[in-house]
Amino acid sequence: MDFILEYYFDFGRMIDELGPVLEGFWYTLKLSIIAGVLSLAWGLILAVLRQLPGRALAPVRWLTIGYIDVFRGIPLLLVLLLVSGFLSSASAPVGGELIPRSIGVPEWLGQPSPFWYGIIALTITYGAYMAEVYRAGIEAVPGGQMEAARSLGMSHGQSMRSVIVPQAIRKVIPPLLNDYIALMKDTSLVSFLGLIEVVQAGFDYQTLNINGSALTLGAILFLLVTIPLARLIDWMISREQTKTQRGGGGGEDLQPGPAPTGMVGA
Amino acid sequence: MTEPTTALPGDAVNEGGSILKLEGVEKRFGNLEVLRGVDLEVKRGSVTCVIGPSGSGKSTLLRCINLLEPPNGGRILLEGKEITGSMARDELDFVRRRVGMVFQQFNLFPHKSAIENVSIAQEKVLDRSDDEAQAKSEALLARVGLADKLHEYPDRLSGGQQQRVAIARALAMEPHVMLFDEVTSALDPELVKEVLDVMQELANEGMTMVVVTHEMGFARGVADEVVFMDDGVIVEHGEPHEVLANPREERTKRFLGLVLGT
Repeated sequence: MDFILEYYFDFGRMIDELGPVLEGFWYTLKLSIIAGVLSLAWGLILAVLRQLPGRALAPVRWLTIGYIDVFRGIPLLLVLLLVSGFLSSASAPVGGELIPRSIGVPEWLGQPSPFWYGIIALTITYGAYMAEVYRAGIEAVPGGQMEAARSLGMSHGQSMRSVIVPQAIRKVIPPLLNDYIALMKDTSLVSFLGLIEVVQAGFDYQTLNINGSALTLGAILFLLVTIPLARLIDWMISREQTKTQRGGGGGEDLQPGPAPTGMVGA
Repeated sequence: MTEPTTALPGDAVNEGGSILKLEGVEKRFGNLEVLRGVDLEVKRGSVTCVIGPSGSGKSTLLRCINLLEPPNGGRILLEGKEITGSMARDELDFVRRRVGMVFQQFNLFPHKSAIENVSIAQEKVLDRSDDEAQAKSEALLARVGLADKLHEYPDRLSGGQQQRVAIARALAMEPHVMLFDEVTSALDPELVKEVLDVMQELANEGMTMVVVTHEMGFARGVADEVVFMDDGVIVEHGEPHEVLANPREERTKRFLGLVLGT
């Protein structure tokens, strides 16, 4: 029993190792914030491309669907390895210096290249996940909204931008936040490329000390962010539900039906 | 409305004051033939009421006129110009700028206030400035009796109020023809009159209107022409006192007998 407690909860070690673990967690936060914002934007672009109208744009729709299918269907780690391997070798003599080194081995904003490979791979993969969430939101907007906008002379693009997408996003903020939590946890995979983020930092201490307290500390840091997010999601969902039950939502909830008046006159 | 919309530069080219002409319009959804050759002529400034049993193609007819559903056959002429055929972008613009539509389910934008609902297309499509659009929207909402609801969101408005906002929204684009698709069918009975009153007023001002409706009282009182549709064709049409009071066709008689309970 003592061993279990000591293995996971050696508070002395936690305090000693707090600095490096926090440093790792700082990478985790930066990765999840930057990749999170980029995935949200990229996912929305993909979702809108997927909804483009007309026969002429069918190839764009197919390409988008293909992209989403592929990157939802393969592991993030695999994408990470393919991206980092390609970029670093394509900018090296072995790859004929196909791309400039500043892009192949990016060290923008003072962050090491594994950090940026991670951002790219996370965005590629989570953009595909989030595109599907946005799509669900877009499809949940009643068809009459697009018709009303088009009947007022707005183009498909204008209608999407000012009418459909704003409503869709409101509907899907909770599932998007869910994906965001998943993304945050998946940032640990970037440790494969040698980045000492929070899990790798904890694992290094575990190996060194034969003690898991640093990893427990990492878990606590994750939970400090993810549990409030989970509560926020619950709160948003329940607020949305009360609103719908109250009869909000701008007429979508009104039942269609035959003239309720009986007929006037006779 | 700020000004009557009847005097139009296109007048000269429209023989016989006809603003809208349908010739043999057909519409299919898969194997289902919804419109099977509809001919209809709408005179400028007139009110045409389309009645008929559900599934007779009334709504589809309206949706064909503003090209929400492109017809599969026949021709539609709007102000003398054929709008069916190529479905090019310019054509859609031509139609949508001249034809306003009000829907059964209102279809207000729920994330926008009443005045924003009325302003948005003015700014995006007509390139009106913010101030100009706001002023126009305020005047229109006042006209439909909603001067005190400018900044309310749709979910705070009754069905009748929402539908009046929807009418103001369509009028803001200064259409030459207004299409009404069973606009009182989703309303509670006590809210029907306020919407019909607005429509009657519009008719009095000379707006060209095509109204799909179950409100026989409105058809009788306001329509210049009543069209009875059944099974994708126009069975009978004429002045209201003819079609509603002395129908010639058996199908019309049967329908009117059912809805009027006579």
